[in-house]
Amino acid sequence: MFELATVKLSLPEDPRYLDMSYAEQGPLPEEMRNLDQLSEKDRKLALEFYQSLASDFRYNEYLRGCLNCGVCTSSCPAAKFYDFGPREMIQYMMRGEYDKIYEFTNEKVWACVQCYTCSMRCPFNNEIAGLIMLLREYAVKFGLESAKQILAPYRRILLTVLTTGNQVTPDMIQPETFADWGPQALEESKNMDVYRKAIPVDLMQRTDIGWHASLQTAVELMTIMIEAGVIESLKNIDKDLYDMIIDIYEERKQFLEEIKEKYQKGELNEEELPDSWLDL
Amino acid sequence: MEKKVLVIGAGPAGLSATRELVNMDVDVILVEREACLGGTPKKLNYSLLFPELRPASEVIDPLIKVAKESPRVKKYVNSIIDSVKESEDGFEVSIKDKEQKVSTERVSAIIAASGFEHFDSRRKYEYGYGLIPNIYQISDIERMLSENKLVTTRGVPPKRVAILLCVGSRDATVGNTYCSRVCCAVSIKQAMEIKERVPDAIVHIYYMDIRTYGLMEDKLYWRSQLEHRVGYIRGRISEFMRGPNDTVIIKGEDTMNLNRALVVPYDMVILANGMELGLGSAQVAKVLGLRLEEHGFIKPLDPDRLPVVSQRKGVFLAGALTGPKTMSDSITEGQAAAMKAYEYVTKGIWEYEEIKVTAH
Repeated sequence: MFELATVKLSLPEDPRYLDMSYAEQGPLPEEMRNLDQLSEKDRKLALEFYQSLASDFRYNEYLRGCLNCGVCTSSCPAAKFYDFGPREMIQYMMRGEYDKIYEFTNEKVWACVQCYTCSMRCPFNNEIAGLIMLLREYAVKFGLESAKQILAPYRRILLTVLTTGNQVTPDMIQPETFADWGPQALEESKNMDVYRKAIPVDLMQRTDIGWHASLQTAVELMTIMIEAGVIESLKNIDKDLYDMIIDIYEERKQFLEEIKEKYQKGELNEEELPDSWLDL
Repeated sequence: MEKKVLVIGAGPAGLSATRELVNMDVDVILVEREACLGGTPKKLNYSLLFPELRPASEVIDPLIKVAKESPRVKKYVNSIIDSVKESEDGFEVSIKDKEQKVSTERVSAIIAASGFEHFDSRRKYEYGYGLIPNIYQISDIERMLSENKLVTTRGVPPKRVAILLCVGSRDATVGNTYCSRVCCAVSIKQAMEIKERVPDAIVHIYYMDIRTYGLMEDKLYWRSQLEHRVGYIRGRISEFMRGPNDTVIIKGEDTMNLNRALVVPYDMVILANGMELGLGSAQVAKVLGLRLEEHGFIKPLDPDRLPVVSQRKGVFLAGALTGPKTMSDSITEGQAAAMKAYEYVTKGIWEYEEIKVTAH
């Protein structure tokens, strides 16, 4: 007896495979990019990634609609040099193609330079650069491999920014991480501290700081970063850096409190203070 | 008592309303801001009309002739409506001319047909219209075509022409989120005219959607490809740059192929600028106390059932001041408004009480 309940119908994932000739010949090379190539584990992560992205309130604020006009991609400076285009991303988002969004986040989203030209020119008023920022933010939050790789050269910058508020310091010229800076960078990075000693300004003789920030400012800055969850988001992407920043924070906070305590008691002896709190 | 109707604007809509009213033995007072009758088609010297490709003068000149020759039409050129006051059997209108001379007329009804203005492409600053040579608007090209002076700044006919659609329409960055309806058809018509004059020219139209709606599809969109080999490239150009030898370099994306940028030089670039209410009609709306709808055009009493009747009793609307319209639409609306105005001045028919307009 033929039992209906036992017949299990399953459609292929890609509806184009319903066409038998298509199934036989397979996808053409230029179609390969449109096919789902994620592994089972990655697909699960991709879905999770998309769901948390779509539940962010900014996602629906920034994403409005798409006329497919291509103004964003044609005015994009990154699209000129990389296989990257904002319209591609918006299209995936409009269709809710989570696997494509995941792939885009891993491979392409880091090409954007955040110039916001696309957002300014979009005739549908999409906040495209904001969406890209959102993708990056969630990539960091999820600790995606691509985010780890792309942020690795910026560890040092992150450390200085988060601990001192200084952005670029002379010793950041590391030829191995910034290969595009050329052979001159290699030469200059070799004897950086010697060259700098010749400059007759105290501050310029150091290579690890651009300017002096007061101890209190630095501690306040780091407190804000910690409270806002910025440092917490680093945990997934770079555990070492996270630990380092937290260590520095606790050390400086303790020192600041000691100074405050002494000051309140009237025991503060200015000669005991170090020349720079960075010498701690 | 003699009934008089004031018609504001002597374009296709106003002139066709005038003709109908004169045929029904109603006196007409025709007020026109410009020095000559005929409206935007005459002012900007339109060449051929789509989709039949007949000269614009063939359509508009008979209407002008009626207005000029009929003894029932009193014309005020170079004049605008200064103020409108309600009187016991209609309106008391003061009309101000260029020398600030004010004359007063008493009328029973008003037909506002003051039309549209072309979008000023300088507002899309990234297109460089007015800064980069050899960038024109479709409204400029119409004059060049009808005066037979289609040349670039170097004095030769263009060999490579790009036409960009949807300039100032369907664009939230300039606040115009509507489609201007006619620019696709006008651009394709101009492409065919250019190909007829310069047969070896390469003409590319950059589009998002081609909206040659209704019966124009094969007459324009298909015919331009079949007979004239006009090229269609899907994508909106994002910016123009000045190239060598007075060429214009476009920067766009061929959206049929993902992430493929286009950087192509052209001898001449034409921007298909859309329609807006314009300052003239905005002034008319202010004087008559008419409300605007969300796109900035004048709101009719009921867009479906009474498209030519305004919110104010005794005021009727015709033509492109209620939204982008073709010339034949405007002529039809002029005739409809004339009929409504005739009903109103002879029998006092005003449907306002019956129509419950739901605001949304």
